[in-house]
Amino acid sequence: MMRQEAMVEKLRGAVRDCMSKHLYSSAIFFADKVAAFTSDPADIYMQAQALFLGRHYRRAFHLLNASHIVLRDLRFRYLAAKCLEELKEWDQCLLMLGEAKVDEHGNVLDSKDCNAIYMDKDGEDCEINILSAICFLRGKAYEALENRSQAHQWYKAAVKADPLCYEALECLIDNHMLTYEEEKNLLSSLRFAPEDGWLSSFYSCFIKKYDKENVVEAKFRELEMGHRELNTSRSSMTCTLKNNTDLLACKAEYYHQSGEYQKCFDLTSELLERDPFHLKCTLVHLAAAMELGHSNELYLMACNLVKDYPQKALSWFAIGCYYYCIKKYDQSRRFFSKATSLDGTFLHAWIGHGNAFAAQEEGDQAMSSFRTAARLFPGCHLPTLYIGMEYMRTHSFKLAEQFFMQAKTICPSDPLVYNELGVVAYHMKEYKRAVWWFEKTLTFVPSSLSEMWEPTLVNLAHALRKLSCWFPGSIKRLYHIMRKLLLCQPEV
Amino acid sequence: MVSKESCRSELRTAIHQLNDRCLHSASRWAAEQLVGIEQDPAKFTPSHTRFQRGSSSIRRRFGPSDLPSTPVGGALYVATPVHEEDDSADSDFYLLAKAYFDCKEYRRAAHVLRDQTGKNAFFLRCYALYLAGEKRKEEESIELEGPLGKCDAVNRELTSLENELSKQLKNETIDPFGLYLYGIVLKERGREDLARTVLVESVNSYPWNWSAWSELQSLCSTIDILNGLGLKNHWMKDFFLGSAYQELRMHNESLSKYEYLQGIFRFSNHIQAQIAKAQYSLREFEEVEVIFEELLRNDPYRVEDMDMYSNVLYAKEVFPALSYLAHRVFMTDKYRPESCCIIGNYYSLKGQHEKSVMYFRRALKLNKNYLSAWTLMGHEYVEMKNTPAAVDAYRRAVDINSCDYRAWYGLGQAYEMMCMPYYALYYFRKSVYLQPNDSRLWIAMAQCYETEQLHMLEDAIKCYKRAANCNDREAIALPRLAKLHSELGRLEEAAYYYKKDLERMEAEEREGPNILEALMFLATYCRSQKKFEEAEVYCTRLLDYKGPEKEKAKSLLRGMRTSQSGLTSTETEHFPP
Repeated sequence: MMRQEAMVEKLRGAVRDCMSKHLYSSAIFFADKVAAFTSDPADIYMQAQALFLGRHYRRAFHLLNASHIVLRDLRFRYLAAKCLEELKEWDQCLLMLGEAKVDEHGNVLDSKDCNAIYMDKDGEDCEINILSAICFLRGKAYEALENRSQAHQWYKAAVKADPLCYEALECLIDNHMLTYEEEKNLLSSLRFAPEDGWLSSFYSCFIKKYDKENVVEAKFRELEMGHRELNTSRSSMTCTLKNNTDLLACKAEYYHQSGEYQKCFDLTSELLERDPFHLKCTLVHLAAAMELGHSNELYLMACNLVKDYPQKALSWFAIGCYYYCIKKYDQSRRFFSKATSLDGTFLHAWIGHGNAFAAQEEGDQAMSSFRTAARLFPGCHLPTLYIGMEYMRTHSFKLAEQFFMQAKTICPSDPLVYNELGVVAYHMKEYKRAVWWFEKTLTFVPSSLSEMWEPTLVNLAHALRKLSCWFPGSIKRLYHIMRKLLLCQPEV
Repeated sequence: MVSKESCRSELRTAIHQLNDRCLHSASRWAAEQLVGIEQDPAKFTPSHTRFQRGSSSIRRRFGPSDLPSTPVGGALYVATPVHEEDDSADSDFYLLAKAYFDCKEYRRAAHVLRDQTGKNAFFLRCYALYLAGEKRKEEESIELEGPLGKCDAVNRELTSLENELSKQLKNETIDPFGLYLYGIVLKERGREDLARTVLVESVNSYPWNWSAWSELQSLCSTIDILNGLGLKNHWMKDFFLGSAYQELRMHNESLSKYEYLQGIFRFSNHIQAQIAKAQYSLREFEEVEVIFEELLRNDPYRVEDMDMYSNVLYAKEVFPALSYLAHRVFMTDKYRPESCCIIGNYYSLKGQHEKSVMYFRRALKLNKNYLSAWTLMGHEYVEMKNTPAAVDAYRRAVDINSCDYRAWYGLGQAYEMMCMPYYALYYFRKSVYLQPNDSRLWIAMAQCYETEQLHMLEDAIKCYKRAANCNDREAIALPRLAKLHSELGRLEEAAYYYKKDLERMEAEEREGPNILEALMFLATYCRSQKKFEEAEVYCTRLLDYKGPEKEKAKSLLRGMRTSQSGLTSTETEHFPP
């Protein structure tokens, strides 16, 4: 009896080792034998796990379903749902995960699973809460079923259940599901373990970065400095994320957003030399190269990307960028729409598509793609903003203003929105309001005034000029602005 | 091996001296090597040395004041101390002349120095005169002739310079720089032997002038001349030998020289480019590509040698990289012969041969002696079926360097196109003599022998055999050999080559019409030799293919079975076909 026990234990070890060495067929073979010897639920779970890893989803699902424990143990249920996910049977998957409700802040309302038993852990030191994984899977299923609001609520629930569930946060942020406010609220509601302080600051760099320059910089600095409190206990280990590619990619994103394209380009070029296949970094690099007009760089990047990742939307997006950069808008539209057809959730391609239309003054088509983008990405204010701009071009100022206000509610800290609002007000001859908007723009400009914001200054100056007929007091402010303008471009 | 520190101090001194004499390209070369020396890893972190490579502002702090006047003696092979500064270098007139010279006002510079007697002043005056003459010559040749026509414009200063310099040599008041100039003048006057001895003397007493070495290298057309030069040992000699071996097509020797030099000049772009050149001649395109990619990363605005990179990209048909390179050099410096050549290649790969020719022409306008542009232009004309122009271009190329096997090959091709196989043969023979290990050349020659007019099949067979022996990548030689033999009725040899070809195709997993032909031949041949089992193997393989061969194989099999049925009738009954 003892010997048999030892033999089974040894076989279990063999299964685990086979799985870690990716010898799935052997793992399945031995797991099957162990399960036959013991018929212990834990061994059945192991067998199902091996089957799942060996891509026998249907078989794994059947095995789990046949064992009676499936509805009682969360792990079983989760694995069964994972199988259904791979089989793309989304409704079944949701059924398997069980009924649950979630409110719009991602708090799970009535969870009947509380009394469900949860068997022994997988034996990892740090385990992600299984509820979080379940919430995430629900979110994915809802997203696949095109139920976006449910999806993003479940993603939120996943992050809330366990802040270590990075995937959920990534989905939320990359697909622009949340507005800036919502992102911030979500982050502040997360309960991090005391030793995960760094993660909290990392996430805060990861979300949209419309804060003032010093706030954002402080966030980065905090991460770059490393964590002293950790170091004191184990002084030999200096842990800093200063050179971490993910973090630097966030930084590059920030540079790009604040218009420092050259700085951004230099940073991403360096990062791509280190990790040539970092996708987020590639995206920022493309954007920066386009702003700087490095069409040659774009060309080479696009060729390489298409060669390496013909299935990724990003590659075709890169080609679109290249054509946009050399002003061949027809071609560029073709590739942008190819990118969107490969991945409908690729925001940048939608916006590129719209902009390529807008560049040729085809407002209606441009607006239709912006509208799609606005529908798909409720957390991103850019599509709304662009729709407003299109309306403005056709002199529909009222409509334009409406859309700008909508953009403002999504992202109240992007100076560009205020500038556009000011322009609309100017066109509607409400100069006082225009001045107010322009002044507000200047307060939101993140860094020191660069030439990117020169148009705003000019706009403001014009508004003040019109205003000075009635309010002589504004002359003084006008002079002030003019001096600033001269500082902005010393060579003029 | 010489120490890095001594190389460094020698080069530092040399750069200043070369600069004082306005030998700009030599001083640039020396400065490049100086930066290429590996830093002591103990003193600098690797990241520092890596950073060092890209930036040009290295070690500015070594002003003239803390120059070591002599190199560390023990490490030197030659006991030549670095020259002390000539006193006349400080003279005001010299400064004025140098300023004029730097502004490319050569005659004015020479005029300022007319009464100066110092060695430096003498050299600079002669050099200025020489360059003034060269400039005039260039202008004349443009005025007199079109780009393709030859021109007999000469440098009018040469005679007087030669007289003056030889007088100095007799008085033994000439310095190494004067000798260098004398060497150039003699070379242009066609007195190559004397030029060689003069240049050897120059580099023996002052080895850091790379321009002198390269002039000397252009005068070494055979290995015997090279060995008989009587050069003193110095590390600069290794650079010289590396490049000389390369010119003499001793690529492996040259490679080993450069690899040795890389021990000191670890980060030298020059050495990397030269290694790439050697690998290119050995047709190791992958290696070349890797080297150039790195070179471009470290030195993104480099135009030198990049035409070779474009050739590699062209040969490998890597269009994106070639386009990137072309756009890049276009932005860096559009009017460099190398740039034009790269752009020419780019258009050629795009199939726009007229534009390509235009750029090659431009390259040649910028540098009439640009060998590879002549050859490439010839290739373009061949593509455009303009054989007379192609022949003309190729001829110019072989006039410049009679060792360019590509140009000879091109000439052969052009004459073959004009149905003049005897001429073609003559040129192919020339190219094969220069590059005996290139299968393409042998195949071209063999095909020439095969033409209707000549029909010298025996000779063709000999050529194909040579081609098959030297790594025939396109695998043309073996099937042709087999076919020729079978046409001549030598079935045994034919079978031998067909078998070999078949083995090769299996090893490389290639498919093609050749395989059918080979199988068909071997099947019939084996049957006629009564090797039925072997024949059956070939026939069954043929059954996998479609077409008339399959039917033929079936009938062959049937025929064999019936002829064998007398022996093994019981077996065939069990396995009906």
